[in-house]
Amino acid sequence: MKGGLTFPGGVHPPEYKDLTEDCPIQVVPAPSQVVLPLSQHIGTPCRPTVAKGDTVQAGQVVGDADAFVSAPVHSPVAGKVKAVGLAPHAVLGRCQAVTIETDPNAPDDKAPSPQRFGADFNPETYAPEQIRQAARAAGLVGMGGAGFPTRVKLEPNPEQPKKVLIVNGCECEPFITCDYRLMLEWTDQVIAGVRLAARAAEVERIKIGIEDNKPQAIEAVRRAVETCGMDERIEVCVLRTKYPQGSERQLIRAVLGRHVPSGQIPPAIGVLVMNVATCAALAEAVVLGAPLTHRVVTVTGPAIGAPGNYYVPVGMTVGDLIEHCGGLTERSARVVLGGPMMGLAIADMTTPITKTTGAITFLVDRVVRGDRLARPTPCIRCGRCLAVCPEGLNPTKIAHAVMYEKPDLAEQYYMNVCMECGSCSFVCPAHIELTGYIKTGKILHARAKKRMPP
Amino acid sequence: MEILGQITEFWRQAWPAAVTMIALGSAFAVLLLVASLKLKVQADPKVEEVLAALPGIDCGACGFAGCSSYAKAVVADPKLLGRCAPGGAATAARIAEILSLSVGGGSAPARPIVYCRSHTEDRLFYASYSGIDRCTTANALANVQACKFGCLGFGDCVRACRFDALHVVDGLATVDYDKCTGCGACSKACPRNLIEMVPFTHEVMMVVACRSREDGKTTRAMCKVGCIACGLCARQSDLFTVEDGYARMDTERYEPGEACETAMAKCPTGVIVYRGKGAPPPRPAGQKPARAAT
Repeated sequence: MKGGLTFPGGVHPPEYKDLTEDCPIQVVPAPSQVVLPLSQHIGTPCRPTVAKGDTVQAGQVVGDADAFVSAPVHSPVAGKVKAVGLAPHAVLGRCQAVTIETDPNAPDDKAPSPQRFGADFNPETYAPEQIRQAARAAGLVGMGGAGFPTRVKLEPNPEQPKKVLIVNGCECEPFITCDYRLMLEWTDQVIAGVRLAARAAEVERIKIGIEDNKPQAIEAVRRAVETCGMDERIEVCVLRTKYPQGSERQLIRAVLGRHVPSGQIPPAIGVLVMNVATCAALAEAVVLGAPLTHRVVTVTGPAIGAPGNYYVPVGMTVGDLIEHCGGLTERSARVVLGGPMMGLAIADMTTPITKTTGAITFLVDRVVRGDRLARPTPCIRCGRCLAVCPEGLNPTKIAHAVMYEKPDLAEQYYMNVCMECGSCSFVCPAHIELTGYIKTGKILHARAKKRMPP
Repeated sequence: MEILGQITEFWRQAWPAAVTMIALGSAFAVLLLVASLKLKVQADPKVEEVLAALPGIDCGACGFAGCSSYAKAVVADPKLLGRCAPGGAATAARIAEILSLSVGGGSAPARPIVYCRSHTEDRLFYASYSGIDRCTTANALANVQACKFGCLGFGDCVRACRFDALHVVDGLATVDYDKCTGCGACSKACPRNLIEMVPFTHEVMMVVACRSREDGKTTRAMCKVGCIACGLCARQSDLFTVEDGYARMDTERYEPGEACETAMAKCPTGVIVYRGKGAPPPRPAGQKPARAAT
């Protein structure tokens, strides 16, 4: 399976997927307490719909907003609302959240139900509008990491009709295997979700992109596609293993050979990209009416006792999850929500898992690259960052423009096209935190723009 | 005799050139004279005068590119009077005099106040941060320090200050009010919007130096000198109000007085402090409030 479709640029970080790729998905029992941030998506944050002291059922809405670009939040457990207020958040630091104390006498935890879906699943029995409504009601968001409300994505736009649905099964980040296990174990559920999404978004063709380091998943998905009886519309695309293949724009480039214009989103060229986990959750939401309250999380890294793929209630704190997964075995240098390339380091172990948390990686000193050589040295203009930038940018120029307070210059080098994949920082022999500087520049740019008078 | 002959000979040959030069010179002089009269630019003496009255540091606080652009603008539109922060009331009065306007009252000069008083040893940290040492970068991470509302101490404001009036002292941005011109660059640079431009109606202002929206218990856990929104100060003086999890002082109405002093002394965390030129040092962190006589 050499060759395969790909995109220009990119890097080959060590994969470390062997830690968890053979671990079947395990159900994690509900913790004694869950913290549900009211902002787990892109768009308007939710308002709490419950108050302190209220009793909530499993699957009950605890936060909602009227805005179109938003998604409600549901409780994964039955119990009592302990507090509504500021709580830790992996991205925002602190954010409004509902804390629920689990009722110890509550009925059994929600278990995944992939057996409910078979090859004979027929999406035609569901109307497109019904699917979209279900996606909203279940609080579905893009589970690959961005957290864009699925309902908004599926909405057909007459001005920009969507023609192709690309299903993202790349999982190019090192360490992470949650999507891989999902494709392997819940294959029929994923395919059912893919077909529902295609029906809701009214697309003509479906392409499922999987990297060639997951031959078993490719095999399983191919078999499921063949048996589902619409193989002329669904195609499984084998992609060359390279980081960041799972990025939306790079995936489109590899699968369709087309380029999404800078500053625009895939619908501009008639493409819709969805993650496999989102598709699986969509199937559950539409067929079983189940809200998004649990997700598969890869708990991995050299510092965790029992690495694996866990079916975790959203809102469970990282600390509780560490305890469930055998605790830390050695001194963890860095706890990263997500993978090591794009994930965010956290230090507060009471931070909860959200709908977009695909993995928690516990890194140790010997894996955190360059900690021994952390001191950056001057740029030697070797150009490696240019060679690997998947967007064809000049990362060192942008980073240095930001470093020396020249925002206009950074802007001229297309700073805002950068998607912060981290490839440039990864290859930089001088250990310059290029991505960090570009990210800083983007924040400064956004602030300056906000402050400009209308 | 021979010398004389040579001079005469020279003159005989050179006189047309000399005459031509003089004629040309006179012609151009007349031309320039006419041009200077015909094409005269009407320079407004007022602009010159206003420019002379301005501090000439081109800080940009007025919203214009520099002092000369502001001088032009203020002469054209006297409503823009009083925009010069470094010059303050004195400059405004001088400009008003030049423009023969009268200034009503004259607003107090705006100066920055950092709404945090927590030094590194007063704060809770979950881990050590080893990334790019800029507030903007650090602020993008969730847990650089426990408090999400306090000063980060990487000095984005210090870099923005062009008058050396800001320094990070033990992890806290501290304004040197002797050097500060009030241009407001620091307030724009702070990613946590902690620095606010406040009109200093007095040389020294009393403020509640905290913006933590956390509840009292959490604030206490995160910082020794945070506002826990207990409301003790609000009971002493109506200048204090508690909202969004922290107390604030109404700086516009602030008048030094006994009620404020008592509030300051009673504050359980010592978060009420003086800011300004020669402000007395705040109560050391962790020191118990004074038992004020009732």
